[in-house]
Amino acid sequence: MENTYLPCGKYHQTYKDEHSWWKTKFIKSKMILLLIVLFFVIPNVAQGYWMSIFNHVGYTILGALGVQLLIGYCGQLTLGHGAFIAIGSYTTTMLLLEFPWPQIIVDLGLSYPLSTIIAGIVAGLWSVLFGLPSARIKGFYLILTTMAAQFITVDFLITQYISQIGGRGQAFSIPGESIKIGPWVIDSNTKVYYLMLVLVILIIIMLSNLLRSRVGRAWIAIRDNDISAEVMGINVLKYKLLAFFVAGFIAGITGSFWISNLSAVSPEHFEWFLSLWLVGVILIGGTGSIHGVIFGSIFMVVTMELLRMGIQPLGETFPKLASDFLYIRDSFFGLLICVFLLYEPNGMAYRWWQIKSYFNLWPFSY
Amino acid sequence: MELFLMTLVQGIMLGGLYALVSLGWVLIYKCSGVLNLAMGEMTLIGAYVSLTFYNMGVPFILSIVISLVIGLVLGILTERIFLDKLIGEPVLTVIMVTVGLSYFFRGIIEFVFTTDTRLFTPPIFSIEPIRIGPVIFSEVFLWTFIAALILLVIFVAFFKFTKWGLAMQATADDEMAALSIGISARFVYSAAWAIAFMAAGVGGTLLGNINGLNISVGYLGLLVLPAVVLGGLNSIPGAIVGGIVIGILQNFCGTYLDQFFRGSVKEIAPFVFMAIFLLFKPYGLWGWERIERV
Repeated sequence: MENTYLPCGKYHQTYKDEHSWWKTKFIKSKMILLLIVLFFVIPNVAQGYWMSIFNHVGYTILGALGVQLLIGYCGQLTLGHGAFIAIGSYTTTMLLLEFPWPQIIVDLGLSYPLSTIIAGIVAGLWSVLFGLPSARIKGFYLILTTMAAQFITVDFLITQYISQIGGRGQAFSIPGESIKIGPWVIDSNTKVYYLMLVLVILIIIMLSNLLRSRVGRAWIAIRDNDISAEVMGINVLKYKLLAFFVAGFIAGITGSFWISNLSAVSPEHFEWFLSLWLVGVILIGGTGSIHGVIFGSIFMVVTMELLRMGIQPLGETFPKLASDFLYIRDSFFGLLICVFLLYEPNGMAYRWWQIKSYFNLWPFSY
Repeated sequence: MELFLMTLVQGIMLGGLYALVSLGWVLIYKCSGVLNLAMGEMTLIGAYVSLTFYNMGVPFILSIVISLVIGLVLGILTERIFLDKLIGEPVLTVIMVTVGLSYFFRGIIEFVFTTDTRLFTPPIFSIEPIRIGPVIFSEVFLWTFIAALILLVIFVAFFKFTKWGLAMQATADDEMAALSIGISARFVYSAAWAIAFMAAGVGGTLLGNINGLNISVGYLGLLVLPAVVLGGLNSIPGAIVGGIVIGILQNFCGTYLDQFFRGSVKEIAPFVFMAIFLLFKPYGLWGWERIERV
């Protein structure tokens, strides 16, 4: 699905060409245009509310990339990814609030980036812990253990123990000035947007490069048939755990990023709904495709916002609709997933690929 | 010792309820291979329907019957609209459809009935405790257990002795063979969903009598998972045993471990137990071991 059609009469002449990201000048200019739009046009045009929607899309993309790696590329079903995002968030929060950073690091503004990396590693190791059962079980049983991960981590450990540290009660509020990278304090939606953009691009580059290396091929082999993968000499357990680690690492970074957008971190942000939401995003976007993550995230967040906008005017006449919007959203989310899985089981990425190849070959159908 | 006995008895009685709902779950899995995560919302729907009718003045038994009828209709509709088309799809797709369904139902329930706790008024069971020797428990638990037992017996008899039940057993055993002797698989799927919906509804109604009914009663639907994993996914006796064991385990954790931890261990313990149990015996006590070949 990822291969591109070259224009008529053009051939790769070196291996470097064949491995390049942007294979033709047209694609290159298209992507550069996209980057210009993302970096310069959107931040200047969009206002506060729209900015927050973009940030939410970015957060969903980051979270769903990890799920996509586990489900779409390694075939390890997970319904507990929210737990690892929570671990990332809480590790960073705890490090920022409680850890005695040396003054020089605080002055250089390195405490947030450093804690982000530590959060990634901690979340990765935590994810490996709950990935261990994958050595013996798969499919539905793995879903059960990852669900257990969600309940144990968020509903028990974080709510009952970690939230109590320092006697702050349920929510940890982070002083705004502590979230800074170097000299830049991340205190507005626009700055969060830039941080999100850089992270999304970095992680997508990392993940796509990983996926076309030996590791990625091993993951895909395990997804397609784990027994044949083992017969071919792939160390299945090692690569499964590696997948869990990388997914957990991405989740940790995601969680750590998201606290820059939250005024206070509390367990409510990481309920089971988040895990389901992320899986819903990749199923709607299409499993086994990074495009799918992006399409799915945009689609889900924008649809939910449209729903909110649609409900709000009705709220004046029917106040119950406005006050119980959350329930309508839940219900709508459920219905959306059902409908997509029933009528578009390959996801939006497949549809995108069809459209693209249609126009590549246009006006001839073959 | 008294505490121990009391915990045990209450655990068994609560476990009877879990067994009832687990039975519905296993039935769906056995007959149609669907791993259902919407069980909790199915209990909620049944419970809210019977509560609404009971509070309107309908006798309790009659309101349970009404909720059974509505469960039957909804079960058939759900199967026909959503799950009929999913036969042969990957595991994740089927599971996510049931998750989607559960959110769909839950949203509707929360919207219609709000999240406040509702009580069966006037109370059906007296709050006078019953004493048997040193063991004290409230009447609700006893009746709940008896009702669950009666229903379990009815279901088992249904499978053993009626034509429909035998057809369902045959489909669960070997779908191809069942189709070739003229059993309609679609009928069996619908029947499985209808029965599961009804069992869940009664389970929810009974549980709602203990502490009042609110959205957290739907947690029962998740508790079913440890129970069925323990018994093996496709074993009906396994589901009953698993339900009772999980009930006992939960009560013991509540009595003896809660003092050592913050919050309630009761709600987490079944899942911890399940995660550990899966490591050692992934196919449960009586489940079929699946042998895989390349």
